[in-house]
Amino acid sequence: MGRCPNHKNSKKKGYSHKTALRAKFMKKGDDLIHTELRVDERKPLPVDEDLPGMGQYYCLHCDRYFASANIRDDHFKTKLHKKRVKMMKGAAPHNQVDADVAAGMGRPDNGPKLRESSSVIPVAMEAF
Amino acid sequence: MRLEKCWFCSSTIYPGHGIQFVRNDAKVFKFCRSKCHKNFKMKRNPRKVKWTKAYRKLHGKELTQDTTFELERRRNRPERYDRVVVENTIKAMKKIEEVRIKRESKFWESRMKGNKSKERREGLAELEQSIHMVKAPLALQADPSLTLPKVQAKIKVKVSTEKQSTQAMQE
Repeated sequence: MGRCPNHKNSKKKGYSHKTALRAKFMKKGDDLIHTELRVDERKPLPVDEDLPGMGQYYCLHCDRYFASANIRDDHFKTKLHKKRVKMMKGAAPHNQVDADVAAGMGRPDNGPKLRESSSVIPVAMEAF
Repeated sequence: MRLEKCWFCSSTIYPGHGIQFVRNDAKVFKFCRSKCHKNFKMKRNPRKVKWTKAYRKLHGKELTQDTTFELERRRNRPERYDRVVVENTIKAMKKIEEVRIKRESKFWESRMKGNKSKERREGLAELEQSIHMVKAPLALQADPSLTLPKVQAKIKVKVSTEKQSTQAMQE
């Protein structure tokens, strides 16, 4: 399925090397990034010696660290980054609830909260 | 026991089928078959893949908002067993399934409603546009250059097989 990533005309040529493949599992999922982007306050980035640029130059959309502010700004101009920004602006990525709804199920129903009022019986199926 | 739905294509996963992927933040993804798992690994979006339920519902190919979809739900609260409730539920399941199938077929019919007249219209337009390409049979008879030359039918010739057999005997 798909094209050989090592092919000379492939756009994913740089991503087939073992370092790129190793990083594949460390990357955040799209749904995580989507929720993180919608958090109002951002914490200052922690200093990490192992990351490029001590972990100070970070692109949240692409989940990537850069060595300096210049390189990061260059990254902001790339097509890959712009594509991701556009993607993250849109609706939330597909999740299990979406899959269930598409399969003809309703939204999860756990009844009313138990803690607030003690004498609540969970919603039984009496409506038939 | 629960019948889960596939993360990618929304089909039902029966016990003993499919595969589960647990991401390093403990989020669980369930897949009905390797096809869906592979598509997930390729980072395909199920909303953009035409054969998934998510695509079909999003693009108005199937019935979406309906009261018959309200019965089957994920209910995470345990309920005390009651024989009457179980009986009623099983009855309701059958009844609601019937209603759902009926509504879905009606939806399909209404979706396909304009197709026949559309095809007819398009056919008529095409006919009007390219009628000049069609020659009347009388015109074809008058000008033999318009038709292909007739191919002569092959004539079968009988070959006597007796000679060959006698030669073989002699050898």
